[in-house]
Amino acid sequence: MSEPILQARGLVKDYWMGAARLRVLHGVGLDVGRGEFLCILGPSGSGKSTLLHLMGLLDRPTEGQVLFEGEDAFARPKRWRDRLRNEAIGFVFQFYHLMPDLSVLENTLLPAMIRTPLVRWPLVRGRERRRAEEVLGDLGLRDRKGHLPTELSGGERQRAAIARALVHRPRVLFADEPTGNLDTATGGEIMRVLARLNRKGLTVVMVTHDERLARQAHRLLHLVDGRLLQRP
Amino acid sequence: MWDGWLDIPGVMAALAGGVLVAAGLAALILVTPIYKHIVCLRYLFAGWKAVVPLISALPAALGVFLLILVFAIMDGFVRETREMTRGTLADVIVDAHLEGMPYYDEFIQRITRIEGVEAATPIIQTYAIVRVKPRVEAVKPLVRPCLIIGVRPEQKAEMGRFAQFLVRQTVAGLKAQEKTRMDTARYLEHLRAAGYPPEALLDVPADLRRDGAASRAGAIAGLGIIGTPLPVLVTESALEGAGARVLLGVLTGGAVVVLLLVWQASRRYHGRRGWRRAALAWLLAAGALATEAALIPVYPVREERRQVIDVPLLDYGDDILVSTIPVRPSGALEKEVGGLPKVSERLLVLVDAFRSGYWEADSTHLYVDFATAQQMAGMEGRPAEGDQAAVPARASQVHVKVHDPAQAAAAVEKIKEAWREFLHERPEAGLLQLSINTWETQQRMILKVVEIERNITALMLGLMFLGFGVVIALISYVMAYIKGRDVGILKALGARDAGVGSLFLGYGFIIGLLGTALGMAGALVMIHYLDPIEIWVNRMLDVDVFPREMYYFEHIPRHVSAPWCVGVGVAVLAFSTLASMAGGLLAALRQPVESLRYE
Ligand SMILES: Nc1ncnc2c1ncn2[C@@H]1O[C@H](COP(=O)(O)OP(=O)(O)OP(=O)(O)O)[C@@H](O)[C@H]1O
Ligand SMILES: [Mg+2]
Repeated sequence: MSEPILQARGLVKDYWMGAARLRVLHGVGLDVGRGEFLCILGPSGSGKSTLLHLMGLLDRPTEGQVLFEGEDAFARPKRWRDRLRNEAIGFVFQFYHLMPDLSVLENTLLPAMIRTPLVRWPLVRGRERRRAEEVLGDLGLRDRKGHLPTELSGGERQRAAIARALVHRPRVLFADEPTGNLDTATGGEIMRVLARLNRKGLTVVMVTHDERLARQAHRLLHLVDGRLLQRP
Repeated sequence: MWDGWLDIPGVMAALAGGVLVAAGLAALILVTPIYKHIVCLRYLFAGWKAVVPLISALPAALGVFLLILVFAIMDGFVRETREMTRGTLADVIVDAHLEGMPYYDEFIQRITRIEGVEAATPIIQTYAIVRVKPRVEAVKPLVRPCLIIGVRPEQKAEMGRFAQFLVRQTVAGLKAQEKTRMDTARYLEHLRAAGYPPEALLDVPADLRRDGAASRAGAIAGLGIIGTPLPVLVTESALEGAGARVLLGVLTGGAVVVLLLVWQASRRYHGRRGWRRAALAWLLAAGALATEAALIPVYPVREERRQVIDVPLLDYGDDILVSTIPVRPSGALEKEVGGLPKVSERLLVLVDAFRSGYWEADSTHLYVDFATAQQMAGMEGRPAEGDQAAVPARASQVHVKVHDPAQAAAAVEKIKEAWREFLHERPEAGLLQLSINTWETQQRMILKVVEIERNITALMLGLMFLGFGVVIALISYVMAYIKGRDVGILKALGARDAGVGSLFLGYGFIIGLLGTALGMAGALVMIHYLDPIEIWVNRMLDVDVFPREMYYFEHIPRHVSAPWCVGVGVAVLAFSTLASMAGGLLAALRQPVESLRYE
């Protein structure tokens, strides 16, 4: 395996229900190599989404570290993590999470719009737009770019969400059950897209509870009750 | 068309301030990430649901509308009252009451040498009973109390607005309000040109002299003394087709505007075509409103209405019988030979009527030439005669005009000082109890009351904004709550906490801005068309909203103070932004995963 782009060290995540502690992750440690397609498999409620959120710098672990390209992400200021999410990380959520008031194209432009102040926008708009249209075209959404998310099918929504996660050329893509709400055929299509992206060099960390899908990955990890099981 | 109730320098200052603030805001807008603008505008103006936040701008609009409108009217009252009281008086009043002050001409010379003093004139004041025989059959003689005021007309005319309040000797073609607002020096020029020199205001012209009564002096009476309140028909301008048609116009205009806005709001607009359509809709809506506003005043018609005014019961040239009780320099009443107090009676000729709008002046003042009044009050001087020493003539008051009315209080101190010096040189003037005051101090009871009324009303209306703040806070909170998922998405994509929070502040700010613009525009239009609107309301509801005879105003007084408008605008904007902190904080503090974990 090549040099790791992402490392998790003893990740613990607790939730508090009043005085009662619920430990969702019990010291998870793993490395993700550059260009790798890693799949984390586990039953519902095992803590897959939680782990992905921690590694994607969306949430803070109770204990442990996440090293992104060797840097301890949670030791750095929040601004640094915000920036990293905006420029280096792509995230595909379990439930698409597109902004309902924005069109598919505008949703895809969001990372750029978050990055760019109004004065600079006219200068970069053409370039960003062409890039967004290119990604949407790759994912077969060229004709739907003016539509609102509510006007799309589930598969199309998920592809729009993938487009938004890819548009800024991230170094790692996290995908949380990207096919969870789709039928088998559409799910297979999404998986082919991810595999194609990975072949082009993108690091992909995917979470699923579907063993058949997981087989497409280079490496498979099992998460059960907040603990990783290494399988031979 | 706006001047008179809108002060231009104030507007300029306000505009300059506005430009500065706008520039600061523009700079802020330019450096914030573009997503905030797009998302915020989309929340406000896209989809049917967008009508809700727009409607929430209405309470703000109503508040701004009332604050501006009511304050403008109350402030107009305050100013008008000040002008009226001040017009009948002078900047500074030196009052020796009924005792009278001797050597007043010497003292006046001293006063005029004081820096900042422009002129001074002696005044006689004494109480009297007036009797007049009305020119109407079967009406008994009018018997009324009055205050005789002896003036040197050419000097008095320059002190205040004395000449501007006259009814007969006037400049044709000037409405009363224009006349009283005009600069006094300019008005006196006009008056001179019209054949009424100020020094002759109390003279009896040949055509008013009757029965060869050559020796009778002229008098100018407050309209209330020689008249009686009677209902008469007066014509006023009102709106064409007042009622149904205007109402219909306003309603259809409003409906068109709302439909246009909803049409553009209900459309999702992505890309350039959508924005063009939105701009077009707003343009059409603004056009519809402007047309509406422009159409209303196109059809003013004259309309008659009943109004109670003081109708004079005398003609110019008629006799006025005045009885006074002269007071001797010692303070004792002058006595008849038999020991009874002496009543001095005198026949005067009515040469003009006086109408200032200041009720007390109009119902009691009777202006007479200074020397005549002096005799009536027993204040005239007597040369030494046999064993009797000479008696100096006296005056009851000295009215002083200063160059800068704002410096009146300073002038008061200097005049007091001058009086003390004067007493050193002329101890025989006696230890007189002189009250020296500015007109404002003298009239503070009246003036304070209207000012306090104005301020309390503004305060009460201002409190309304607490309610409005709660509305904005609630709406922004609910909005941030509903849009929790969006907040999570934006943060997951790298938006900063403060940035996402400020998005909701901007949302409240825009609601405040809409409300302010709407309310301000509405109030200014309403203020401009206040009179026709009032007449219309009167007719529709059969009431008299603003009984003009109470104040003798042709128009409802109004004065829009630009700093006040700017203050209200800034306060509303700041307040709505502050209130939307409720939503802003919720959005800023929320963890992104909280809303992203579930569907
Ligand atoms: N904010 C929270 N408060 C309390 N408990 C939480 C919270 N977030 C997650 N959990 C709990 O953590 C456990 C793991 O949740 P997680 O969403 O990571 O599971 P998952 O493996 O992704 O499941 P699924 O396959 O259904 O998506 C669950 O039991 C859940 O109830
Ligand atoms: Mg999950």
